[in-house]
Formats: sequence, C-alpha cells, structure tokens
Amino acid sequence: MTYSFTLSKPLQDYSTALREWSAAECRPYARQADIDKRRPDNWKTILDTAPVPLGRADRELPDPLPTFEEGYWVSHLAFYESINYGDIWVHPTLGNGGIGHLVVQAMGTPAQIEKWYDDAFVKQRGDTGFALTEPGFGSDTSKVATTATRDGDSWVLNGTKMYCTGGAFADYVVVFATIDKTQGAKGINAFVVPKGTPGFVVAKENEDKLGIRSWTTSELVFENCAVPLDHRLGWSAEGGDAEVGNGQGGALSALAWNRPNMSALAIGLAQASLDTVTPILKGQQAGFTPQRWASVERDLEAMNAALDRGRRLNYLAQSTVDAGNPSRSLSAAAKGYLPETVERVIRRCMELLGPEGASKELLLEKWYRDCKIMDIFEGSGQVQRIVVGRSLLGRLAG
Amino acid sequence: MLDLHPDEELTEIGALARSIGSELLAPSARDAERDRAVPPDVWHKLFETGLTVPVPEEHGGGGVPEPLTLLTAVENLAHGDPGIALAAFWNGAAALLIAEHGTLEQQQVLSRLATDPGVRSAVALYEGYGRGPAEYATTITVDGDRVRLVGTKRAVAFAASAELYVVAGVDAASGAQRAVVVPAGTGGVTVADDAGRAGRIALDAAQAADVVFDAELPASALLGGSDAGTLTATVQRLRLLTASAAIGTAVRATEYAAQYATTRIAFGQPIAAFQGVAFPLAESLIRIEAARLELAEATLVLLEDPTGDHEALVAQAVAYALSVGTQSTRQAVQTLGGHGFIKDHPVELWYRCAAALSALDLDTSRAPFTAAL
Ligand SMILES: Cc1cc2nc3c(=O)[nH]c(=O)nc-3n(C[C@H](O)[C@H](O)[C@H](O)COP(=O)(O)OP(=O)(O)OC[C@H]3O[C@@H](n4cnc5c(N)ncnc54)[C@H](O)[C@@H]3O)c2cc1C
Repeated sequence: MTYSFTLSKPLQDYSTALREWSAAECRPYARQADIDKRRPDNWKTILDTAPVPLGRADRELPDPLPTFEEGYWVSHLAFYESINYGDIWVHPTLGNGGIGHLVVQAMGTPAQIEKWYDDAFVKQRGDTGFALTEPGFGSDTSKVATTATRDGDSWVLNGTKMYCTGGAFADYVVVFATIDKTQGAKGINAFVVPKGTPGFVVAKENEDKLGIRSWTTSELVFENCAVPLDHRLGWSAEGGDAEVGNGQGGALSALAWNRPNMSALAIGLAQASLDTVTPILKGQQAGFTPQRWASVERDLEAMNAALDRGRRLNYLAQSTVDAGNPSRSLSAAAKGYLPETVERVIRRCMELLGPEGASKELLLEKWYRDCKIMDIFEGSGQVQRIVVGRSLLGRLAG
Repeated sequence: MLDLHPDEELTEIGALARSIGSELLAPSARDAERDRAVPPDVWHKLFETGLTVPVPEEHGGGGVPEPLTLLTAVENLAHGDPGIALAAFWNGAAALLIAEHGTLEQQQVLSRLATDPGVRSAVALYEGYGRGPAEYATTITVDGDRVRLVGTKRAVAFAASAELYVVAGVDAASGAQRAVVVPAGTGGVTVADDAGRAGRIALDAAQAADVVFDAELPASALLGGSDAGTLTATVQRLRLLTASAAIGTAVRATEYAAQYATTRIAFGQPIAAFQGVAFPLAESLIRIEAARLELAEATLVLLEDPTGDHEALVAQAVAYALSVGTQSTRQAVQTLGGHGFIKDHPVELWYRCAAALSALDLDTSRAPFTAAL
C-alpha cells in the first residue's frame, strides 16, 4: 500500500507531549495575555517547563526542534497545531514566529543565506519580520509604494509598512520596496533592515485588534533609512549577482510554504475548543432530551471530521514540499480550506453551551476572535481560491 | 391574501428607529462597550422614544406598538448598535410581559417602569444548551397559596440592578408554561456575578449575569394568576424580537462592507468588481431578506394562533436569523481584509455582537453544524 495516514511514532509522541504541555502550562495565561496584549512576563519560566525541545531563541545553547522522518515541513504542521492548542500567545515567544527569514532563504545569495538564515535565524534563533503590506494594498502585492534608491554604497528606503507581525521587536525586518515604479512587480526588491538602523521608525508598536492580541502588529516607517548594498537580497557588496527573481515572487513563495502552517494553527484552536466543550457537555448530559443529546454528538462528530479533512490537505501540501516537489496550488488549497470552517467550529462550540460559551470565563470567545485572521493574512481566502483556480483555469481565473 | 409590504406605520417606525440608531446609538457603541453600560444621556433619550419600554397608555406609557412594528423597531435600533439596542429592549421586555399577561395588581408597577428611566427590570428566559421554552428546566410549581421557583437562568440582562424579574418556566406537576414576577431581594435569588464580571464577547452594556432561583413566592406572584393564557406565545415573540437584532446587525455590517468595497482598490479596480467580494455580500443581502420575512411570519403565526405549539417554527426562524447575523458579520470583516480585524473599523464589533447573540438562543438540535467547504 502506498498510502499511510499515520504519523511516525516519534512525531506522534512529540506532538502529544507538546499539546498536553501547552494546554496545561501555557493556556492558564491565555486570558491575561489577551487583556495585556502581550506575552506573560514570566514566559521564560513557563517555557522552561516544556518536556520537549521547542526551538527556543532565548536559549544560550541551540535548542533545535527534533527532526522526524516525515521531514521538516510536515513535522512543522504537527508542531504548529500542538503548540497553538494551548493558546496563540506561546508560539511567537519562541523567536521563530516571523517569516522574514523565509524570504532570505528563497531569494538570498549563499552569503546572505549564511548570514541571515543560517546564522541570525537558525543559530541565534533571531526574530524576523516580513514587511510587505502598506496602507494602500495588501492582497495586490504589485502595488508596493515604498521606494529604495541607490545612493553610492547604500540603498535608501522610504515608505510606510503596516500590520507587520513582530515588526517592532524583530532582529531584522525584510522590507519590500520598489527600485523602479515604472517596472511594476518587476521593480520590487527585498531588503534586510536590522533593528536599530537609523531611519527605521516604529510608528505604532501594536494595533488594537479583534483577536491575536498578544501578537505584536506594528506599523513601521522608513525615513531615509540607509542599508548597505548587500542588504538587498540577491546582491553582494559589489552589486547584483546573477538572476535572482523579483521581490514579489520571493515574497509570494516565502508565503506559500508557510500557508499550511497557518491552517494548522487554526486547527489547534478549533481542536482546543472542541476538547473544552466536550467534557462540559458530557457533564450535563443528564439534563438533555435524548434527541438533543443525539444532535450534540452528531455535531461533535461532524466537527472533528471536518478538522481531520483539513489536516489531510495540510499534510498533502507539506509532504510535497518535503519531497522537493512543492505545489503552490496545494498550499493554497490547504489554507483556503479550513479557516472559515474553523470559525464555524468554534462558534458552534459556543452555541452548544449557550450564553456560557460567549463568556470570558472560557476561552472559546477568545479563540473565536483569534481565528478570524487566519482567512485574511498570508493570503486571504479569496486569494487562495485565485491561486487554486489558476492551476485549473490559467490566468483567466481571478 | 398575500401581502408582504410594510404599511405606513411600519415604514415610519422603521425609519424613525433607523435614524435613532444611526444618530444616537451608533456614536456611543464603543463607549457602551467599554463602560459596560449605556451612557445615561443615550439611555434617557432612547427611553423617551417609547420604543423600548412598551407600556399601554392607561398605565402611563406611550402605547404598545404592533408586534410587527416592534420587530422592525428592534432591527433598526440594532442597526445603530446591537449592544445598546438590546440593553434597552431587554429592560423593557418585562413591561411587555406584564402589560400583556399580568393581573391588575401586577400591572400597578407598569407606570413606574414606563415613566422612570432609572428603574431596571429583567426577564429571565434563556437556559443555554440550545434549549427553547419547551425544554426549559426551570420549574414554577403551585402548591396551595405558594409558588415554588427552582432553576438557573443564563444571561439575564440587568440581573444585579433590576427591581423585578419575570421568570419563565414550567409547572413541575402539570407541565404548563408559567411565569412569575419576582421582586429583587426575594430570598433564594442569587445573582452569579462571575459571568457578569468576566464579561462576554460582546453585548456587555446589558450587564447580563446568570441567576439561580430557589425561592418560595405567594401565589399572587404568578404572572396572570393561575391561567397563564397565551404566555408562551409572548415568550416566543421575545425570542423573535431578540433575533431581529441580529438582522439589524447583519444589514449594517453588509452595508458598511459594501461601501468599503466600492472604494478599496486592488489589482487596478475597486474590490467590489471581484465576484469573490461581491457575491458573498450579495448572498448576505439575500439571506437577510429571507430571515426578516421568516421572523415576520412567525410573529404573525403567534398572534393568530397564540395557544398552538410553535416551538419548531420559532426555533427555526431564530436559528436562521442568528446564523445570518454571524455569517454576514464574518463576511463583512473578510471584505475589509486586515483592516476589518482592526478596531479602527466597527465590523469587528459586529462580528462579536452576532456571535454573542447566536450563543444566546440558537437551537443547535434543529440547525446542524455544517463545514464551509
Ligand atoms: C494581525 C495581522 C497581522 C499581519 N501580519 C503581516 C505581516 O507580518 N506582514 C505583512 O506584510 N502583512 C501582514 N498583515 C497584512 C495582511 O497580510 C493583509 O491584511 C492581507 O494580505 C489582506 O490585505 P488587505 O488587508 O489590504 O486587504 P485587501 O487586499 O484590500 O482585500 C480586501 C478584500 O478584498 C479581497 N480581494 C482582494 N483582491 C481580490 C480579488 N482579486 N478577487 C477576490 N477578492 C479579492 C480580499 O480577499 C479581502 O477580502 C497582517 C494583517 C493583520 C491584520
């Protein structure tokens, strides 16, 4: 038989340990993190209780995530679901929450990859930001208005970026800027801008949001912000290397492989919701008419099955990435599939309980707020459908 | 003969409520949420419109609007802000029940409720777990000249400040639907403040909390005396009225998103030009029309046949309207993209309000979970 839907025992064990730990030790801080709009102050002590490696950035010695025979990307799905099962505050504290390094990996020269991926990200487990979105656009990434102008040995950036996850605190931010507006998407390039570079201003540290409030969502302004030539991805200090593709393409491929991770995160929240209400409902079973109880069981069953369908699509997409044969369409399918269903699952969990389900005494209402972003960032649901549609219909779709 | 057109009164009251909603309620929506209270000046002005505490003129009120008119009023006030509209409506609901079913003695309180905006009253209906009135576990049992009230009610608006509660339940002996008027301070009435203090995803201006009843009352506390008459029909109407707030919320969210879609440019055109944006908004509009008609018809059926069993009809209408609320508001957030997720725009508030409403009274046994894809 060629198919197997079972994860290897080591990956299963790792995921279970992570999930149970995150629920037991991290979840109790979820409400406060939402109120305070930041991670708990004692986050390091909390992370210290983890029974498995988390890939922490704040450790002196490297703390790599274990590798599993499934491969890097598939293993990450299990990681994303399990760590977020406790709550969404945990993951960004590990220091590998950003996605700027993925652009470096996709577009950098060997020297840049060594410096900002292998060293700054992998070895030093640095935080990286991804600054693409601007006030004037989100989905339409060809509309980058931030400019980069060559001035002798530097590139000088000017413009405003918004909604940059972790932007205020990242060790470096990958900024997308155009070197020539007349070239449209082709003129867009990616620049590594380290924290503290003069002219790199955090205009707003964090937005007031519907959900994922413990995550930092920053507005960044670049005012005559100069970086050396080799901070332009694909360039060395001497100038441009061979063809490296344009920045928009790099941005999109960096996003592409991360998309199923976002779907896995959403599954973590939905599964947490289901596992929260199931015992409460069971405890109340005596008060239910047989018909009502049957409908509760049917709903729980249908919701669990829906999440499993999403998991399978995620694994399909990421196992093709691990096999070195990635498909943008499969990644988009995986992310396009589940987020709205996750909203419905969490909402139904609230409805099954009634008014108690909407109360802040439980976390359902928080997860219902948190999960909404999953169908918006890293490519909205509509954008995923366009990507999948194009694999079927070509450029006509859209 | 079929007639689906609003008459003059309906149209006028709808327009009036809509303008009160947009001029009075909408600007205070964020304040009401932050303070977990309707700002006093807004409360007073809304009270003076007479739309929210429906009391007959002979009891000092401004008259009781026709049932369909009230439905329209709640929808359009909620179009301004569901949080404030529902706080006011739930406060007035006790007066509605007492005016309709109370004994003369019980109706003495109406003039106070109708004229003093400082007085709060509460109805205790919902029990959670998707249960409608037919499954209420709260018992109201007559034993000689005493009445025993036992049960837990969820999300009772103004639970801590109300002067009286009207509590719905069933007679443990006969199975008949009953309600009692319970003065605040009665022994055996416990407001579980925890839920109130923690707050909810939205609608906190109504200061709702759970209330545990284990009380003994004189038989005179029975609403309408020993014959509850058409009480159930009125309780069902209150559910429909509450659900119509979800429709008002859905309308506002859809309008807001549509407006945004005509001005936000992506890929060289307003995003409204993309079917992926326009179609879901159009679907919201279609659903809204369908849900509004369903609520109206259910209201009429309750009036025409107030003693019949309309649980299924009402539960379907309510569940559909509430799900239209949640679906339309999620679509509104989606239409604004990342901007919809930020508090600078109000769509995130409506997303939360619609969720709070659907957790209140959606009979999940009649509306099974469906995945989006
Ligand atoms: C909490 C948060 C964190 C974020 N983190 C980051 C980050 O780290 N880095 C970063 O660069 N950005 C980030 N973003 C921005 C996010 O990626 C964008 O918000 C998202 O891409 C959508 O863009 P937009 O908000 O401009 O919506 P728009 O592009 O204006 O889209 C609005 C609506 O139109 C739809 N639409 C657009 N075009 C089409 C079309 N052709 N067909 C059909 N429908 C269409 C969209 O799906 C959406 O529903 C974040 C946003 C938030 C809220």
